[in-house]
Amino acid sequence: MIDIVINPNYCKGCSICIEFCPKHVLQPSQDINAKGYFLPEPVDIEACTQCQLCVIVCPDLAIAVTPKEKQGSRNARK
Amino acid sequence: MLKHPMLEYIKEEGPSGMRFPHILCPGCGAGQVLNYTLHAVDDLIKEGGAKKENFVFISGVGCSSRLTSHYLKFDSGWTLHGRSLPFATGALLANPDLKIIIFTGDGDAAAIGGNHFIHAFRRNMDVTILCVNNGLYGMTGGQVAPTTLPFANTPTTPYGNIEDPFDLCKLAEAAGASYISRWITAQPMQIIKAVKKGIANKGASFIEVLSQCPVHEHETPVESMNALKEITVPVKKAEGSGKIPVGELHYRPRPSWTERYESVIEKANEALS
Repeated sequence: MIDIVINPNYCKGCSICIEFCPKHVLQPSQDINAKGYFLPEPVDIEACTQCQLCVIVCPDLAIAVTPKEKQGSRNARK
Repeated sequence: MLKHPMLEYIKEEGPSGMRFPHILCPGCGAGQVLNYTLHAVDDLIKEGGAKKENFVFISGVGCSSRLTSHYLKFDSGWTLHGRSLPFATGALLANPDLKIIIFTGDGDAAAIGGNHFIHAFRRNMDVTILCVNNGLYGMTGGQVAPTTLPFANTPTTPYGNIEDPFDLCKLAEAAGASYISRWITAQPMQIIKAVKKGIANKGASFIEVLSQCPVHEHETPVESMNALKEITVPVKKAEGSGKIPVGELHYRPRPSWTERYESVIEKANEALS
């Protein structure tokens, strides 16, 4: 089960994760956080390959994706 | 609840309330550089066997320099404007085993700290300098900086900048740095690798990251990052293209300042005994 969590207090709605996702899992949503930023939302979780690219490029450390299992995943970053 | 893995190294709460989210604007390249550096340091601690207490983060003044002592759970120093390198020299003298990472901006490194910048490379101090170069003075309102591209519009050059910029990597190479590379913020894996190589390198390592400043460039972060992709070119294809080369530009290890200093201490001890 893959879980994609976006912290609404930390996200500033820069949409860099939406642009970087190679599988287009994330899309802009209509949800607004306390500071008035539009949060991204995962729309197609089945397509997620847990590559962690969105986690690595986020400037605000706001997004988290379930890490890959240890075996057979040399590139997984925990 | 699932949290970002790098929040392990972040002081989310301070004595006067929450420190996170940080002060940087939405889509700031400095936040991305912090994330990449923490990933590199995390790999070194968990897989490379480095000790967390040996890492020291030092910075001066500027947007990127806010990243150290305000938010990191590592030993860190927030020093005078442009004076992060003298502070690092002192820390290395006290403990040569430290792995020092310096966050600096282009104004901090090239403008006010220019003299310290070149002399740290001449001495080959064992530090890793991460320069977040956004080509303007972001914190004070986007004024023209020594690294602003020619004919760029800023609040102080509304009809275009007439000066040519500093090429910080060539400056560092001429001054004697042993590892130099330049990247843009849209190259996460390359930056993580470069930071690891810079920390492993015994000597001055300079990593310049060309960064977006979406607020002062009046663009969205993604547009700004794509604009950086257009003005840069991989170093192998750089000849004759007229664009900024990115990649590993220079690697020539030579004895670092601390190694030479230790050999002098040995000689002095022999002479005295």
